[in-house]
Amino acid sequence: MSGDRYRGFTFLPVDLAEEVELPLEVKKEVLFTHARLAELTHWKLLDVPWNAPVEQVQNAYREKVKVFHTDRWGTRGLGSFKARMEAVFRRLTEARDVLVDPVRREGYVLETAPPQERARLQLHKLDDERRAAERRARVARQNPMVKRVAQGQEVVARAKLAMSEGRWKQAMNDFETAAGVDPRNRDEWKRLAEEARRKFAVSRAAEEYERGLKAELAGQPATALELLRRAADLDPQNGHIAAATSRAARAAGALDAARESAERAVHLAPREAESHLQLAEVLHALGLGREAKKAVEKALELDPAHAGAKDLARKLRWTLF
Amino acid sequence: MADLDQEPVIGIDLGTTNSVVATVIDGVPRVIQGRAGQLLTPSIVALAKNGKRLVGSIAKRQAITNAENTVYAAKRLIGRRWGSKEVEDARRILPYQLVPGPEGHDVRIRLGERAFAVPEVSAMVLAELKADAEGFFGRRVHKAVVTVPAYFNDGQRQATKDAGRIAGLEVLRIINEPTSAALAYGFGKQMEKKVVVFDLGGGTFDVSILDIGRSVYDVVAVGGDTYLGGEDFDRRVMDSLTFAFARENGGIDLRADKMALQRLKDAAEKAKIELSSAPSASISLPFLAGGGEGGRPALHLEKQLTREQLEELTADLVDRCIQVVEKTLRDAGVRPKEVGDVILVGGQTRMPRVQRAVRDFFGREPSRGVHPEEVVALGAAIQAQTLAYPEKGQTEVLLLDVTPQNLGIMVVGGYFETVIPRNTTVPTSSSRIFTTVQDNQTAVRIAVLQGEKEKAIENELLGEFVLDGLRAAPRGEVEVDVTFDISADGIVGVSARDLQTGLRQSITVTATSGLTEEELKRIVEENMDDALEKKQGVSDFDRRRDKVEAMMKDIEALVPSVSEALARSRFGKDAVHKAVAVIQRVRAALASRDLAALSASEEQLDRTLQLFRSLATGARPPEEPR
Repeated sequence: MSGDRYRGFTFLPVDLAEEVELPLEVKKEVLFTHARLAELTHWKLLDVPWNAPVEQVQNAYREKVKVFHTDRWGTRGLGSFKARMEAVFRRLTEARDVLVDPVRREGYVLETAPPQERARLQLHKLDDERRAAERRARVARQNPMVKRVAQGQEVVARAKLAMSEGRWKQAMNDFETAAGVDPRNRDEWKRLAEEARRKFAVSRAAEEYERGLKAELAGQPATALELLRRAADLDPQNGHIAAATSRAARAAGALDAARESAERAVHLAPREAESHLQLAEVLHALGLGREAKKAVEKALELDPAHAGAKDLARKLRWTLF
Repeated sequence: MADLDQEPVIGIDLGTTNSVVATVIDGVPRVIQGRAGQLLTPSIVALAKNGKRLVGSIAKRQAITNAENTVYAAKRLIGRRWGSKEVEDARRILPYQLVPGPEGHDVRIRLGERAFAVPEVSAMVLAELKADAEGFFGRRVHKAVVTVPAYFNDGQRQATKDAGRIAGLEVLRIINEPTSAALAYGFGKQMEKKVVVFDLGGGTFDVSILDIGRSVYDVVAVGGDTYLGGEDFDRRVMDSLTFAFARENGGIDLRADKMALQRLKDAAEKAKIELSSAPSASISLPFLAGGGEGGRPALHLEKQLTREQLEELTADLVDRCIQVVEKTLRDAGVRPKEVGDVILVGGQTRMPRVQRAVRDFFGREPSRGVHPEEVVALGAAIQAQTLAYPEKGQTEVLLLDVTPQNLGIMVVGGYFETVIPRNTTVPTSSSRIFTTVQDNQTAVRIAVLQGEKEKAIENELLGEFVLDGLRAAPRGEVEVDVTFDISADGIVGVSARDLQTGLRQSITVTATSGLTEEELKRIVEENMDDALEKKQGVSDFDRRRDKVEAMMKDIEALVPSVSEALARSRFGKDAVHKAVAVIQRVRAALASRDLAALSASEEQLDRTLQLFRSLATGARPPEEPR
């Protein structure tokens, strides 16, 4: 604490005159440091050079807190100096905390670096990153285990991208590959591969269904039946497909198959009038009037305005009378 | 020590089972023996059948026959809220009765006709230790440092401070037990290393990691479990004994009989302690049940307990300790092999299994240099000396402790938002800005909590702060800057400022555990009345003591001017030495309560005072114009 230290700083007489039980030197140091808290870097605050090693920071901190911690002056009256000392102490502690933590320190070192140092550091950092990447690549080339893991990571990334873009087949294949090269997460990749496979099948089924409906409209019942059957195989849980299959089978004269598909449609989509109507139609074709009537009533109950169902109901009433 | 000018200060380890008081003499910390010669005072308070209040060993001795009016382990209840899990658990196992306080928030202990607040009960133990210290010094003692487990929250610290106030002590500082132990351990050594304190006491478990260097004791991280301690080990033994007894005697449940239970507790503790040095211990409790009226035969308990059995019964408790150690090291970012020393504190660390677990975990022998039961009080005495007499330089140390738990507030959705994270060095502070959510809102309610849980209600509620008197303005326009601070004691404070107007807001604190300020004042006043009443009937000795103490103070005040006068004089050089000798005689007489010696020295003291007064008034420089 030489006289030079305080050059250019004006101590207010009112502050120095305050009656507190602190030596004059300490009073000055507190006033001086507290007034400059905002402008001081952590390094300047601790009186250590920029980028000083952790040990030096720690020791400087300890010497500083012995001056600025109020406990050092016991239970004395410290007046307005108490709050000032506490503020300095908090800042000192913050400075120390930043400069001893490897992660926070790195950022701060760069941020407070003198211009030429900063350029050098940034170069250094880029250099380090490039070297680390090279090292990883070299290791990967040499070590089959690491190579496999690296491959696995690459494949998984590709698979996830494909999945998010709806390229199910690609995702399915990549997850299968990942399960092979990354045994630690095999179950997870298997599960995802299975999910991709299911989604792939559903999307294929939708295509076949569309084509089947077109064939049906074009008056090609045999083709339509073929296409719809394929769709039903790909997506066995889809009630619409089952109902359409039933309709196509009935048109092709395969009544038993039509009945099976209609029952399946009712099972998969019990809230769809179309399912019940298809069942009614096939039952009617089989000559089972009573059962057909029950089914068509169910269809009308679900959708009173369904044109096909209304037609059939009228027809059935006629036959029964 | 030139004890002339210095009022003695003490350090108190207020333990769950035992308490210790210490001081620093001639720069050396030492434990103060009680008036009965003991070093450890049981933290037990009782109301005897004849209405007398008993504290310490004497209370412990009658615990068996008077279990319902004997309070032990009050530390487990201090600063706890009525209805909390901890209190509900305690109610099930404690033989004395707990009742809610008048507001329904805090816990009261029924002793005879009265219900005492927990700090009042702890104050009785503190007052006993204070009296021991006064007997030792032969003069009044007012200032003390009191220790608490590192893991104590704000409420528990505040309540402990209140207890000190009720006992007539100015609590210079509340410090953490493990930190205190580290201070005593490092005292007088040049030390540069990381130290772990493993403190397994009667009722609590604490771990602290310190980085010590240049006489600065820097706590890096603390961890602990306020509900894990030696008494849990005792309970395991007790439970196994009651279970075996029930099996052998057709299902007799000893837990229904408070006296039997108290005998079992004592026997379990004794056996546990014995097993630290012996491979097996025998437990013999004759006439434990039955007998008397009803014509049933008397039943005795005879059992052998081996060290292996004890270790098996308590294995999970030891595991829990090690888990806490692991977590705390992780928090500190310190690897076990970086640790320079491990200090064992608390009576339960005498158990070989505990020492083995610590050794296995750290891969090194724990330090054997400290006395596990005394070290905490010694550290507190060092800190008291440092705070009271910093200029002495003989005890130049600085403690930098941390806050053990996250401090935060409840935010929208009932979540907990951390304002000051755990392991932040104290004293510290942090600010948050609050805005109004309704037009013309004039008050904001802020719930302040401490803990680790995401849901606010699962943490400890410290209090609710109401910010009122806000400006009437459209919603969102009033911004209030609320500052939360934690003192070196670990006690939380809140202040607020209106950002636009710069006006400070008044804050109302609703204490949720512990005593209200008015209640505390009333109790302190009552205790003063008690003291005054006692003064009426004070002995000749006490009256003389007060008189000679006043005279000694006067003499001490005159010493500088007398020395100055003598420096310019040719005679009377030894006057000061003589005075010191007289004062020492008086102190000896006070310490031994020797009335005859005191009367004899009183006269000498009086003469010294007269002499000093004349010397001091004659000390004016002769050339002064007159």
